[in-house]
Amino acid sequence: MELTPPQLDLIEASNDQKIFLEGPAGAGKTTAGVERMLYLMAQGARADTILVFLPQRNLAQPYYQALRNPGLVAGGTVDVLTLGGLAQKMVQLFWPLVSEQAGFAHPDQAPTFLNLETAQYFMARVVEPMIEGGAFDTVTIDRNRLYSQVVDNLNKAAVVGFPHTELEQRLRGAWIGEISQAHLYADAQQAALRFREFCLEQNLLDFSLRVEVFLKHIWSVPVCRDYLSKTYNHLIYDNVEEDTPVSHDLMAEWLPQLESATLIYDWDGGYRIFLGADPASGYRLKDHCQEEVTFNHSFVTTPEIQEFTAGLEISFNLAEDRLDSPFVSPSQPIVEDPASKPAVGDVRSVLEFETHRFHPQMLDWVVERASYLVEDEGIPPEEIVILAPYMSDSLRYSLSERFDRSGIATQSHRPSRALKDEPAAQCLLTLAAVAHPEWGITPVSYELAYALVQAVDGLDLVRGQLLAEIVYRSKDGRPTLTSFDRINPDMQERITYQLGERYENLRLWLDSYSLNPVDELDHFLSRLFGEVLSQPGYGFHHSRDAGQVTANLIDSARRFRWILAESLTDGSGKDYVQLVQQGVVAAQYIRRWNEPSEGAVFLAPAYTFLMGNRPVEVQFWLDVGGQGWAERLYQPLTQPYVLSRHWPPGTPWTDSEEFASSQEALYRLSTGLIRRCRYKIYLGLSDLGEGGYEMKGPFLRAIQRVLQNYPADAPGTQVETH
Amino acid sequence: MTLLPLDFQFSQGSLQDYVDCRRRFQLRYLDQLAWPAVEAEPLLEHEQRMRSGAEFHRLIQRYLLGVPEKRLSTMMDSLGPEGSDLKRWWGNFLQFANVTPGGNTLVEGVLSAQFGSFRLLAKYDLISWDMDEPDRRVTIYDWKTSRQRPNRDWLAERLQTKVYPYLLVQAGEQVTGLGKLSPEQIEMVYWFAEHPQEPQRFSYSDEQYQQDHDFLAGLVDEVGSLKEGDFHLTADESRCKFCTYRSLCDRGTAAGSIDQVESDLEVETEQDFDLDFDQIAEIEF
Ligand code: SF4
Repeated sequence: MELTPPQLDLIEASNDQKIFLEGPAGAGKTTAGVERMLYLMAQGARADTILVFLPQRNLAQPYYQALRNPGLVAGGTVDVLTLGGLAQKMVQLFWPLVSEQAGFAHPDQAPTFLNLETAQYFMARVVEPMIEGGAFDTVTIDRNRLYSQVVDNLNKAAVVGFPHTELEQRLRGAWIGEISQAHLYADAQQAALRFREFCLEQNLLDFSLRVEVFLKHIWSVPVCRDYLSKTYNHLIYDNVEEDTPVSHDLMAEWLPQLESATLIYDWDGGYRIFLGADPASGYRLKDHCQEEVTFNHSFVTTPEIQEFTAGLEISFNLAEDRLDSPFVSPSQPIVEDPASKPAVGDVRSVLEFETHRFHPQMLDWVVERASYLVEDEGIPPEEIVILAPYMSDSLRYSLSERFDRSGIATQSHRPSRALKDEPAAQCLLTLAAVAHPEWGITPVSYELAYALVQAVDGLDLVRGQLLAEIVYRSKDGRPTLTSFDRINPDMQERITYQLGERYENLRLWLDSYSLNPVDELDHFLSRLFGEVLSQPGYGFHHSRDAGQVTANLIDSARRFRWILAESLTDGSGKDYVQLVQQGVVAAQYIRRWNEPSEGAVFLAPAYTFLMGNRPVEVQFWLDVGGQGWAERLYQPLTQPYVLSRHWPPGTPWTDSEEFASSQEALYRLSTGLIRRCRYKIYLGLSDLGEGGYEMKGPFLRAIQRVLQNYPADAPGTQVETH
Repeated sequence: MTLLPLDFQFSQGSLQDYVDCRRRFQLRYLDQLAWPAVEAEPLLEHEQRMRSGAEFHRLIQRYLLGVPEKRLSTMMDSLGPEGSDLKRWWGNFLQFANVTPGGNTLVEGVLSAQFGSFRLLAKYDLISWDMDEPDRRVTIYDWKTSRQRPNRDWLAERLQTKVYPYLLVQAGEQVTGLGKLSPEQIEMVYWFAEHPQEPQRFSYSDEQYQQDHDFLAGLVDEVGSLKEGDFHLTADESRCKFCTYRSLCDRGTAAGSIDQVESDLEVETEQDFDLDFDQIAEIEF
């Protein structure tokens, strides 16, 4: 894409400029940020003195892409970091200088970094005795969500920048409902305090403690500060509006010491409010820059699509003084790019919709329209996204199965997924239980059959069940497998000798292992994988996915083992397996933020798509009548708005604030999506939702109001139901 | 047409893999296939060595960035028996550090440069130079924690010995500020934590630079020209003992013994942790 004169002016600004660049999504700001980075390098700035700072890792994609260009100047490499990444790096390096003053009980010993999974595990250890003592008795969410909300509270305190000891006071001060809820806040506070104490006692650093140690201690030690200021001279800070107040504070302090800086701010962002993002806090960095630049030409949207945004703003009836709200980022009218204008028309030329009675019919329609676009209009599948507020497994499955039937590939983005739901992991865990009869974990017969089907190449479920019924026994709570040779010949023939031999090798391997078992579950898994399951004749041999899942499971189990050993906490392979199976530990693994696969329609939750920051030709919005588009997740132990820097402690959070904030969030979400759409939006509507509920949510009503300004065809009213 | 992605980056690790076994290069770098079999036995000992090696590199990095030696030594003193290797290496390093030249350093730095139609990239443990020295020598240090001290001929043939000095000539100007570097200025030193008095030093020269250039260019051209079926399995089956893909290639089941490994197996880099949408279990997408 050719750069515009304003983009070129910014990119080629002198090497000592501090620039604040703002504008709507799709105005070419990130492109300018990437080119600015390359320009600085071409002008002789050492690449390793440039820091690209971002609120979230996946936003780094355009920068990484540019940095992998073969023709890039020779030299060092640019660092691309988030606050979490920077804090982790600095704590790793300078731990010996701050461990004592930060209050750790063993300052001479190495720190242990917790990821979300291990943090949840330790939180469970802290909270379980509290629950047994009667705490959290009125809470109705499951335990894993309870733990993660307490972890989230600690993270909020760290990124908003208030003491974690004030959580209860802030949450309680804003609460106007029943007193039992106030007790929950007291319990959540206790859990946070105990968890923090436990971490300090055991040298454990969860995300919140990493950030606090970095900001409160490392940042003020001269040798650390010196390291940072000698290392980095140039800053590119993209998506400032999606970052947290402490990141903004850090940058406000750091900016005067930097040679140049380019700060990039998206007007309608703030999608990560529930993760502590604070657009208003970010906007104050403008005062720290000498140059202010606005790009307000959209390269993405057409006038009709922009009219849709304007219509929604009126339709949502957002308060006139909303721009004074600290939760709202500044916004100005967008000027469309004249070159991208198609024939002038009304909003309806970019919206297509059809109402159906039942949810499956709506899904059929979506797939039928998408197929038409690919096959008849020649739109590449990767230019089509299917979006819903949340993507349940069943919705994901229903869609990908329909697309499969239409011969169109899909790429489903599920950021994290529980390992226990993966067939390969289930197989490994079941076989682990069989190999360790002393654990006393006895899989049921169908679990074993299922594991054998995964393990033995060519074994189908019918024969797998047959085999399991014959060879699998549990004696005194100890699972055992008997030999294929002892099965009667008819049955052997039915199962086939070849499959029988494979089974027998697996059994012998497990048998011989159990004579001399090891304490390290991950070592067992690695051997089982390498010596049997991935060998020719076994189910993992041809499976890339099984390799990946096994690698993730091994990695998770190993991390647990190391952390437990370092924290001198008891725990064995058996405990790990139970934790995974119970879901106490989510055992989630992180899938990479995939680059869109060529030739595949992308299925994703709406916020995930937004944070990918990738415009597309066509968007399908599913279940537009559902409540999910507007409702905040039910979180009885935390509250993102109340814990923000802008909510004065002690001020009640009322229904009207809740209503206004959800309207605002919905408006932002919809405009964010619209501004990442070049051609058309399809609305999937059904009278009854996936769960059979009536679908007349606020998003649908807002869109109807926009369309009612036109003579006919408002969705859900005039359109015929099929 | 090449099977390599346009933005493929070569490193000493990927080139070494290619030289050792084309198939391994394909599986690891083109297919990016995770295949978590055992790399070397005894597994626990192998794991402990890998961890200690990584920890040692971090320790040196801290020292070189200005964390006081005394403080680091206090931390070493508090280690239990499992830290005995690390303690010994640290003691050995301090003696060595007293005799190494000071001046400017680049610690754990990454350099990269264009190489043919691709990029060549390397991570250096330490690059050290002294602006005031008349001949402005630049030394590359690489810390090795393997038990054995590999012989010189073996080391000389390693891709690391070729790629590191070569790339420093290509990309060192920007980071050292010494102007265009000539091969004669460069020396590569392998320092062995278990054999502190016997580092292996490789001086660089114009002639060696030219030879390395021709060799690396030939290698990269060759990799770029291969077709799907050209990634053959190595004929030297002893390599398969330390390769996790052995089950895929039908090259045995059990891993080889760590004592037969010539030098350090590659140390895995730790992933950094981060708070983002990925990690919020609470937000069930
Ligand atoms: S197992 Fe042997 S042939 Fe296969 S990739 Fe590894 S080294 Fe190459």
